[in-house]
Amino acid sequence: MRLADRAAPALLITLTLFVFILLYGPLMVPIVSSFFTVSHGAVDWSQPTTAAYADLTQNDSVLAALWTTLVVGAGAVVLSVALGTGLALYYASPRARGRQFLQFIIFLPFLMPPIITGLALLIFFRQVEFERSLLTIIIGHTVFVLALVYRTILTRLQSLSGSLVEASYDLGASGWQTFRLVLLPNLSSAMVGAAILAFALSFDETMITLLVTGTQSTLSVRLWAMMRLGFTPDINALVALVLLFTTVLCLVAVRFLMPASAVAGSDDD
Amino acid sequence: MSESIAPAGPNRLTPWLASFAAFVVPFGFVLAPMALFLVYSFFSVDHGSIVFSPTLSNYIRFFTDPVFLPIFWRTCLLCFTVALLCVLFAFPVAYFLTTLRGRSRYMLLVLLLVPLLMSYVIKIYAVRSILGGNGMLNRALLATGLIDKPSMLFVFNLNAVLLTLTVLLIPFAVLPIFLSLERIPKALRHASADLGATNAQTFWRVTVPLSLPGTLSAMSFVFVLAIGDFLTPQMVGGQSGFTFGRIIYSQFGTAFNWPFGAALSVILAAVVILAIRLGGRVESSRGRIQ
Repeated sequence: MRLADRAAPALLITLTLFVFILLYGPLMVPIVSSFFTVSHGAVDWSQPTTAAYADLTQNDSVLAALWTTLVVGAGAVVLSVALGTGLALYYASPRARGRQFLQFIIFLPFLMPPIITGLALLIFFRQVEFERSLLTIIIGHTVFVLALVYRTILTRLQSLSGSLVEASYDLGASGWQTFRLVLLPNLSSAMVGAAILAFALSFDETMITLLVTGTQSTLSVRLWAMMRLGFTPDINALVALVLLFTTVLCLVAVRFLMPASAVAGSDDD
Repeated sequence: MSESIAPAGPNRLTPWLASFAAFVVPFGFVLAPMALFLVYSFFSVDHGSIVFSPTLSNYIRFFTDPVFLPIFWRTCLLCFTVALLCVLFAFPVAYFLTTLRGRSRYMLLVLLLVPLLMSYVIKIYAVRSILGGNGMLNRALLATGLIDKPSMLFVFNLNAVLLTLTVLLIPFAVLPIFLSLERIPKALRHASADLGATNAQTFWRVTVPLSLPGTLSAMSFVFVLAIGDFLTPQMVGGQSGFTFGRIIYSQFGTAFNWPFGAALSVILAAVVILAIRLGGRVESSRGRIQ
């Protein structure tokens, strides 16, 4: 073996490590500083405290934003999973018309930068004289996450064997019974995974929300407004909590969507 | 096989009803707003109210005004550089992932996926806390004695935007590259080795060319995400870090010229579509060969 061949793996590991430091390192700064107080623009490292977290529970604007975020997330999840399942079933049905075009429209808000989706909706709401409110945020988020939910459910649907449905019909089940008793149980874990992903996306969505929101602000819009003022312990505490929450959501979603073999860590080749 | 799994309707009217139901939401809330948006770009503003008669003035203004075109090109160049940097960082990581097996590969993949779902705003904030004049990077450099006063090279300018976007978008570049590397049959690399190629030769002449589609789609992916962003330049760009996305956003806020903002967004959409097509091009032409 030549020297270059032996140096290559070491270089790879070093570069990978460097990228992970780039990805996670910056996040440590607000998390660590959330346990200390900031005075005169500098962090006072002498005394760790959880005061910032206690203050958050008293901060009405943050609590209101949290409530808005949860309502928007729940609304977007229910709407996008219902629509996504319906659209996936439609796409997979033999007599569907214009399915490629339909799929293209569904993917559009995911392909285009969020600013375009947000602005298009903003102009649309104004033109049809639809007051900007909680509902407009929910619609914006639903349109944004629909592509992902639809794709996740369609992938699962297409992995099912067609003979399942044929068997159900042979046994005398109606279309509705087949859907409820055969397809739905098989799709449920993909639907749960998609719902969690959709919630996580909605939870963090900022660009579309900034454009279509009326007077309410979601947590990420609230954070955005706070951050422009500076680096303070209450922002850091909120940042730490949000990061913890999304990380947990992400891990749970992965468990629902990853094939079981990958989770068990089996060797595939 | 997969075509026939959805329940079939009982009568002839059902397919039409199903089609109608399937199209109504995507048409109403995606296609209609996008179409309206295109129409808006041909309107104009007079004394703060929108004039609903068709004109090309917004587009003419973009191409003739000395302000907008230079910012547009600068933003394109910036986003292209971000895409290039992301791929340079992401390729070794993706390659390293393919050398792992079983559980460790899965764990590392999840670790790369987690930042994707983390709040975008928070990631910008975190990177800013490192870059700032009083940030970690400057303090570390001061502490090591490499510089004697805080460097302003990366504080509230386009360099800061470039660095922040790169850090934010690396995970988006890893996935497509990893998927294309994973798809390369092992037999090809073994064949190359059997024919007497060194590892380096196999890497440069087999692995890299075959992963090109994934690398290019990663680049177009990152480019599209970077060019549409207006939050990062707003947060770390300061006065000099003006980008195209920021200008569009300001048309709907302080400048209050919706039709002009719509026209600028149509131009943005055209660039995005071009980037997506370029990124997907190699993929489809390769698909035809195989």
